Amino acid sequence: MASDTGEGYSRSSGGDLRSALEDRYRRYRKRRFTDGEMAALLLVPVLTYLFLVSYYPIIDTVWTSLQTGALLPTREAEFVGLGNYVSVLSSASFWNAFTVTMIYTFVSVPVEMVIGLGLALLVNRDFWGKYVAQAAILFPWALPTIINARIWAWLFHGEYGVINDLLVRVGILSQPFPFLSHPDVALGAMLFVTIWKTSSFVALILLAGLQSIPDHLYEAAHIDGASVFHQFWSITLPLLKPVILVALIFRTLPAFQAFGLPYGLTGGGPGESTTTLVLWAHQHTFNNLEFGEGAAAATIITLIAMTICVIYVATLYEPEVR
Amino acid sequence: MSSDSGRRRFDLQRVGELLGFYGSIVLICLVSFFPIIWILITSLKPASRVITFPVEYVPRTVTLENYVTAIQQAPFARYLLNSLIVASGTAIICVVLGSMAGYALSRLDFRFKLHVLMIILVSAMLPFFGRLIPLFELARETGLLNSYLGLIIPYSAFQLPFAVWIFQAYFKELPDSLEEAGLIDGLSHIGVLFRIILPVSAPAMATTAIIVFIYAWNEFLFALTFMTEDQMRTITVGIALYQGEYTYPWATISAAVFMSIVPLLLLMLFFQRKVVEGLTAGVGKA
Repeated sequence: MASDTGEGYSRSSGGDLRSALEDRYRRYRKRRFTDGEMAALLLVPVLTYLFLVSYYPIIDTVWTSLQTGALLPTREAEFVGLGNYVSVLSSASFWNAFTVTMIYTFVSVPVEMVIGLGLALLVNRDFWGKYVAQAAILFPWALPTIINARIWAWLFHGEYGVINDLLVRVGILSQPFPFLSHPDVALGAMLFVTIWKTSSFVALILLAGLQSIPDHLYEAAHIDGASVFHQFWSITLPLLKPVILVALIFRTLPAFQAFGLPYGLTGGGPGESTTTLVLWAHQHTFNNLEFGEGAAAATIITLIAMTICVIYVATLYEPEVR
Repeated sequence: MSSDSGRRRFDLQRVGELLGFYGSIVLICLVSFFPIIWILITSLKPASRVITFPVEYVPRTVTLENYVTAIQQAPFARYLLNSLIVASGTAIICVVLGSMAGYALSRLDFRFKLHVLMIILVSAMLPFFGRLIPLFELARETGLLNSYLGLIIPYSAFQLPFAVWIFQAYFKELPDSLEEAGLIDGLSHIGVLFRIILPVSAPAMATTAIIVFIYAWNEFLFALTFMTEDQMRTITVGIALYQGEYTYPWATISAAVFMSIVPLLLLMLFFQRKVVEGLTAGVGKA
């Protein structure tokens, strides 16, 4: 590139001193930064920022998890090795939170993927009112989780909730049912709310993938007499795989870290039937001020999240597609 | 004769398909908007008519008293202002730093490019709670608890990977001739970035700014933990912690919730295409 532009200059510089000087000045300015230097200049702020606010805190959390009293100014931090991990992992309520989180994540994500794919296939065409449908799909995603939780707490209200009213009117229930204060049902209600909110996000991501599949593949399959189901199975799904990977990671990580929804919908109850891992860890850290144990739980959460990512990428990533 | 009836059957089938299709679309819209429609209806009823069973679907009397109560009982205007400042600040930092890194990663040739991209993207996968305790401690030591910067700094870090990704996907699509023309005209690399690339990247900036803004407006975990003073709460925390004196005031809450959603509804209405483009950028090419 540099030699191309240099040629351009020498052609235009008529040979006199002034334009020769200008030419040199331009080259100087042009070559002030190589690509590498320029990249360093642009990337150092971002990388510094990420190391300070993202990577360093993770390391610090691991360090805190090995100590006791680390955050209380009145007490000296004391190194306890894996003591915090032992007390976290031997706590029944931690394992309850672990089970709740696993059910929540691995029920909601597959259901969201199926509903999201259905929605995406449905709206993947031009039709009158497409923008209204798109707004309807975007709205649940844009709604703040905690406000969504508050809204559904009202809709599911055990005495005056509209859901109860509708179910009684239709005849499915004979009297209002306390969805959110029944220990066996509360987690189901929470799953319903999260699936309502995030299926639309999956639909948007998958829609982008659908639109990148060239039409001629379907035309060829049609000429070969492939059924719609067969086309879906051997064209749509395989070509959608990389996008499905993105959607899976973007949905599993937040589901695994659910905090606002249980906090606002049920407060983790009744009992601890909807207490997720992050809610458990947050209560331990900031209500009981057990920072060491909280940090140990945070480290365990990070390790599990990273493991899930690695498993997804190892099973679904196809290098040749990129 | 036979071809005529064949065409008619085809038309009937087509009408049936269309009915089914639009029926599904209407159903989706209903299911999506029902909760917020119900909140609006609840907020317009007198408080005493809200707690009835069977439920009153069409309010017999419409009133704005719940909105007045909500505004008088809690500093909702202040909460909204706090959210606006935090979300705007986060959006600005993400656009500035994100565009710089996105430019380097898409249009410059240098060593370790893939490693840098991995470092940036992997940070997006680190759990938020894993970073909460040290950042809380840091904010306490530096006096950033109950300050706007205390939230803007972590939010920006969490959204930077996304911003970088959007910008690098956008810059990749720009023609090479843009920079060549600039360099021939004697601009430096920085000159090319500021005088040529950034002015044409307004669409990517808008997309990033809107999505980051929505994220920061909606965040709850850090907002709850870092803002302990009532006056510094964001709107999400304000609504979550809003309590009545005796019973839970569903009518007032509904009014507050509806007010807090209006800014988001407006954003979605005016910029929905930008939001969709942003969420799907790069994904289609994956």
